[in-house]
Amino acid sequence: MLFNSDVFLKFFAAFLLLFWLVRNHLAARNVLVVAASYLFYGWWDWRFLSLLFISSAVDYGVGLALSRTDAPRPRRLWLLLSIALSLSLLGFFKYFDFFAESLAAVLGRLHLPFHPRTLGVILPIGISFYTFQTMSYVIDVYRRQIPATRSFINFLAYVSFFPQLVAGPIERAGHLLPQFEGARSITRPMLEEGLWLMLWGMFKKVVLADNFAPLADLVYQGHTFSGPTVALGTLAFGFQIYCDFSGYSDIARGTARVLGFDIMVNFNLPYAATNVRDFWRRWHISLSRWILDYIFIPLQVQWQRWRFLGTAAALVVTFLASGLWHGAAWNFVLWGLWHGLGLTVHRIVCPTPNAERQTSTSVKTLSWAATMAFVFYGWLLFRARSLEQIVAMTRALGDFSRPAWTTSFVINLLAFAAPLVLMEIWQARARNPLAPLSLPPWARATLQGLLLLAIVLFWENDKVPFIYFQF
Amino acid sequence: MTSHTYDFARKDLLSLLGWPLLPVACFALFMHLGAALPLLPKPRPTLDIDHTLLIQKIEASRARQDAPILLLGDSSCLMDVAARPLSDALRRRALNLGTLSYLDLNAAAALLREYTAANPGQLRLVVLLLHPEALRRIAPEAYHVELLQALLSGRERVPLPGARESLASLLGLDLFRGRLLCRFLPTPLPGAYGRYYGFSADLEHSLTERQGTAVDPDSQPFQGNAEYRLAQPFQAASKAFRSALPQGVRLLVGITPAPEGFVSPTHREVCGQMLAQWSQWLQADAALTELPFTLPDHLFARTTHLNEAGARLYTEILARSLEPHLR
Repeated sequence: MLFNSDVFLKFFAAFLLLFWLVRNHLAARNVLVVAASYLFYGWWDWRFLSLLFISSAVDYGVGLALSRTDAPRPRRLWLLLSIALSLSLLGFFKYFDFFAESLAAVLGRLHLPFHPRTLGVILPIGISFYTFQTMSYVIDVYRRQIPATRSFINFLAYVSFFPQLVAGPIERAGHLLPQFEGARSITRPMLEEGLWLMLWGMFKKVVLADNFAPLADLVYQGHTFSGPTVALGTLAFGFQIYCDFSGYSDIARGTARVLGFDIMVNFNLPYAATNVRDFWRRWHISLSRWILDYIFIPLQVQWQRWRFLGTAAALVVTFLASGLWHGAAWNFVLWGLWHGLGLTVHRIVCPTPNAERQTSTSVKTLSWAATMAFVFYGWLLFRARSLEQIVAMTRALGDFSRPAWTTSFVINLLAFAAPLVLMEIWQARARNPLAPLSLPPWARATLQGLLLLAIVLFWENDKVPFIYFQF
Repeated sequence: MTSHTYDFARKDLLSLLGWPLLPVACFALFMHLGAALPLLPKPRPTLDIDHTLLIQKIEASRARQDAPILLLGDSSCLMDVAARPLSDALRRRALNLGTLSYLDLNAAAALLREYTAANPGQLRLVVLLLHPEALRRIAPEAYHVELLQALLSGRERVPLPGARESLASLLGLDLFRGRLLCRFLPTPLPGAYGRYYGFSADLEHSLTERQGTAVDPDSQPFQGNAEYRLAQPFQAASKAFRSALPQGVRLLVGITPAPEGFVSPTHREVCGQMLAQWSQWLQADAALTELPFTLPDHLFARTTHLNEAGARLYTEILARSLEPHLR
C-alpha cells in the first residue's frame, strides 16, 4: 500500500477508528497494529507475508534462546544462525540473480561459457528494511544491550509497524519495542507535530518528488548527453530522491506520532552538509547508524592493528555493503565505493572532528560546494541505468552544448526546488525542523491550507511508487 | 490495561483539522469568482501533447498568417508534411493545421473557419490529407471533440470522471492549473516526445517554427488491421467540411501513405477507389492521385506517421503535385 494513494487514506481512517475503540486494551492495540500492518504489507502481495512472519518468528525465538543462556559458544551459534538466515533471505531474493549473471559475464569474458539458472523472483518490498531491523534486535540482545522480549505480539508489532515497515526508518528495538509494552499518551503537541509531518511529507512526495521525476527521466532515459543536461538531470534526481525518501520518512514519523509513537529522525538537512562525513550524519540516518554500529565499528576493531589502512579498508567495505544494500546492480556497488573512498579521503584531510570545526566561512562554503559536487556525482552513479551510461554521461560533462529545452527545464527545477530550499533555510536558521509549528495560528493554517491545495492539485491517479520501495 | 490516552480536547482536534480548510475555501472562492467575473486569463491548459497541440493549432488559426496554402487533416498530415520546406518549394507560405486522428472533418472545418475569419481573402488552396486509418473511423473520440470545442470557446477543459477530479474542480484547482499554472510552468512531455521536444512550451515553439508541422520521434512497430475502407459517416462530414470552404478557394484532397510491408497487395487499388469516392463527396477541385499510397517501411515512425526522412521525401512529392494547381 502506498502512502500517496486513496486506499491508504481509507485504510488509515479505518485504523484510527479501531485504534480509538481499543484505547483501554493494551494487548488488543498491539494485535490491531500487527493485523493492520500485515494488511498494509499484504495489499501489495499477500504471499510475502509468510516471509515477514518467518523472519520475525525466527529472530524472536533466537532472542529468547539468547536470553536463556550465558554460555558464549551457544550464544555465538544462535547469533550466527540468525544472521545466516537473514542474509540467506536477502541473498536469495535480492542478490541470487545478480551474482549469477555477474559470474556468467566474467566467465564469458574469459571464454568460459556459463549459463546459470536465474530465479527471476520478485523482490519482496521492504525486505532490506525489516531484515536489518530483526538483525539489529538479535545482535543487540547478543551484546546484552537490550533484554529479549517475551511477547511475540509486541515483537511482531515492532518488526511490522506499518508506518515504517517498507521503507524505514530502520528502527532499533531499544527505541521502538518498549513503546509497544506500555500505554501511550497522545497530546495536542504530538498531534500537531504528526499532522504537520504527514502534510509536509506528502507535499514533498506528491508535489516535489513526483515533479522532479519526469525531469530526471528526461535526461536519464535519453541516449545523448551534454554537460548541461547531465548536470540538470542529476540535480533533478538529487532533489527527487531526497524529497521522495525524506517525504516517506516524514509521513512515517507523522503517522506514528498521531498514534502516540515515536520513530527516529531519518534526515537532517543533508544538502547543507559541508563534508562527506557530515552528509552521512544527515542522510538516511537510520541506515548510517546501522552500518556504523554493525559493520564499520566491528571491522575497525578487527583491523585496528593496520591503523589508518585498517580504518580505510573498514570504510570502503562498509560502504560497498551499503551500496549493495540499496540494490543488486553494479552502479550501486560503484556508488558505495565512491562514498567509501570519499570518506577515506576526508579522514586524511580532517582526521579529527575538531579539524572540521576549525575552518573559516569561506572554506566552509567551498567545502559545501565540493561536498555537493561529490554527492551529486554519486547520484549520477546511483541513477544511471548501466555502466556504459555512466561512462557516456561522465564524458559528456566536458561538452557545453545546450538543448532547446534547457530554459523550460530550469524553470521547472527552480519552481519545485524553491519551496524545499526556502523551508530548509528556515529550519536551519531556526535550528528547529518543526519551525512552521512556531508560526501564529492563522499563518500556520494558511501554510497548511496551501500545502493541502498543492497536494490535491498534483495528486495523480497513476501513482509514482517511492524509490526506496525497491530496496 | 489502558493502551493509550487522548490527552487533548475535542475542540483541539477540530481546530487543528478545521483551520487549514479556511484558506482552502478562500482559494476556491477566489478562483471561481475570478473565472466568473472574469478576472482570470482564458484557459490555456498545455497539460500534455494533445492539449498543447490543439491549443497551438487554434491559436495559429486565429493569428494573422499570410499563408495562401492551408494543410488540414489528421496526425498524418501533421507529421508527414513539412510546411516550411513546402513553402520554400512552392514559393508561397503554407500553414499546417493538421491535428489528431481522434478528431474528424468537423474539427478541420472549425479550424478552417477560424483561419478564414482571421485571414480574410488570403486563402487560395486548402489541402486536406487523411490516413486510410482515419478514413475508416466511424466516429471521432467524444473526449477530443469536446476538448476542441471547449478550447475553441474558451471554456475549461472537459472534466474527467473521478473523485480527485471532482474535488480539484470544486476547489478551483482546474481553473488555477489551466488558466495560471500552465502559462508559466511548461509541462515535461513523456517518453520519446520528451526526449525530442522536452516540454510543452518547446513543442509549441517547434510547431510555430515549423509552420505547424510536428515530427513523430516515437518509432513503434507497425500494428493494426491493414484492411482499409471508407466509412459511410464521412459522406455527411465531407459535406459539412465543404460548406466551411470560402468561395474561390480550391480544395485538393489526398490520402497519406502507409508502409509498403504492412499493407495488403490491393492497398493501392483500394486507396484509389476511396480517394475517388471521398473526393466526390467533398466536391473537391482535384484528388491528389500522384501522391503515393505506400512508401518503403524505413521511412515510417509507425503505421500512420512518416519519420523525419519520410516527411522530407513526401513533402517534395506533395510540392510537385501542388505546383500545377497554383498556376
